[in-house]
Amino acid sequence: MNKPVRTIALLSASPKGSGLPCVSRMFCNMAAERIAYGEVCVHRFDVRACFAEKTEESTYRAMLESDALLVVFPLYFFCLPGMLMRFLQDFSVFAKAHAAESRLNRVYALVNCGFPEAGINEEAVRVVARFSASVQASFRFGILVGGGGMALGAKDAPFMKSYFGSITDAFDQIRIDTISFSEAPLANVYVEAKFPRKLYFLAGDLGWKHTAKKNGLPKKALRRQPYKRD
Amino acid sequence: MLAYVVSDAEFRTKRFRSLESALLEFLSEKGCSVERRSIERGELKSCAGCFGCWVKTPGECIVRDPIAEINRRSMQSDVTIYLCPIVFGQFSANMKNVIDRWLPNMLPFFLTRPDGSTMHPPRYDSYPAQVMIGYGDDLQAEDEALFCDITKKHRNGIEAMVWHNAEELGRTLGDMRFERIGGSL
Repeated sequence: MNKPVRTIALLSASPKGSGLPCVSRMFCNMAAERIAYGEVCVHRFDVRACFAEKTEESTYRAMLESDALLVVFPLYFFCLPGMLMRFLQDFSVFAKAHAAESRLNRVYALVNCGFPEAGINEEAVRVVARFSASVQASFRFGILVGGGGMALGAKDAPFMKSYFGSITDAFDQIRIDTISFSEAPLANVYVEAKFPRKLYFLAGDLGWKHTAKKNGLPKKALRRQPYKRD
Repeated sequence: MLAYVVSDAEFRTKRFRSLESALLEFLSEKGCSVERRSIERGELKSCAGCFGCWVKTPGECIVRDPIAEINRRSMQSDVTIYLCPIVFGQFSANMKNVIDRWLPNMLPFFLTRPDGSTMHPPRYDSYPAQVMIGYGDDLQAEDEALFCDITKKHRNGIEAMVWHNAEELGRTLGDMRFERIGGSL
């Protein structure tokens, strides 16, 4: 087996607690499995855990010592979640202060959204590209994933095969690109589930009602208006 | 008319002070009463994506910190104005925490917008008009375009603009209707 020649920092940036089902974490597991072998070594970091354990500085240092960074996160209000912004904002300051020690050369992003359409993630990918510029790294491409709401529940369903196939292909592309250190431009990858939109909405709506009921709430309580203007 | 102005205490730059002063003058000329709220670093927790605000305490975040007061004051206002430092083309971390945790004000269900994209339906019959005003030193054209795209491409009834000078601010805000709005967001 070849010795690792490239290191990728894999940053899991879901704000969800470890006890909750988490699509971003599942994608991180897939990425680590697909990318880390032979010439490529993957170091995993979790933004939430990093704040909880106060390991920001050692994490920032490890990220700067990596050749590449893959950030995996959910879309929040059409861009990056507040927790990830805090992390990247502070990392950017750290990176500027330690620019001479930085090996970080390239950045990739995987953004997943609970809405069916993948294109809704485009602005978030552009934000990661602007962040990359701020740390003097080249943004290579984004993986824009729609239908995140069914990625966990339907992951073994036959109609999801091409969905997950596209994502693993994109991880392969990250691996190849990191090894080659190519500067040739790469296009974003758009991934959507082949599933009827109406059914997706229906399943989502039923899911919310079911969860509320499990929490002891009647159906109409979902529509409470605690801040209604007098 | 009540204007609720939310800003980021971490970015009280010279540029911010010019923006705030021009905005307050504009609002005063318009006859608005103004309530200001500045967000300190660490004052608000980040949204944890638990959806408790939809399925445990509908309409209210389950995390007990100042967001309840911020959301209540915003929802009671006629216009809420966010003064947003632009970082990597989007809202700074403090402001993004405010925006992410606005989620309780919407319903969990899905709807299709006229352009075919997805959105959550409104929880309330009416909302304050909302304006995002971005600012920053050494912004590039892409930062400014991205800041506006994030809001304008995906949300109705919310304006986004980038601060350059008082004259432009007055002109742009002068064209806006400072009154509560109904319909989908």
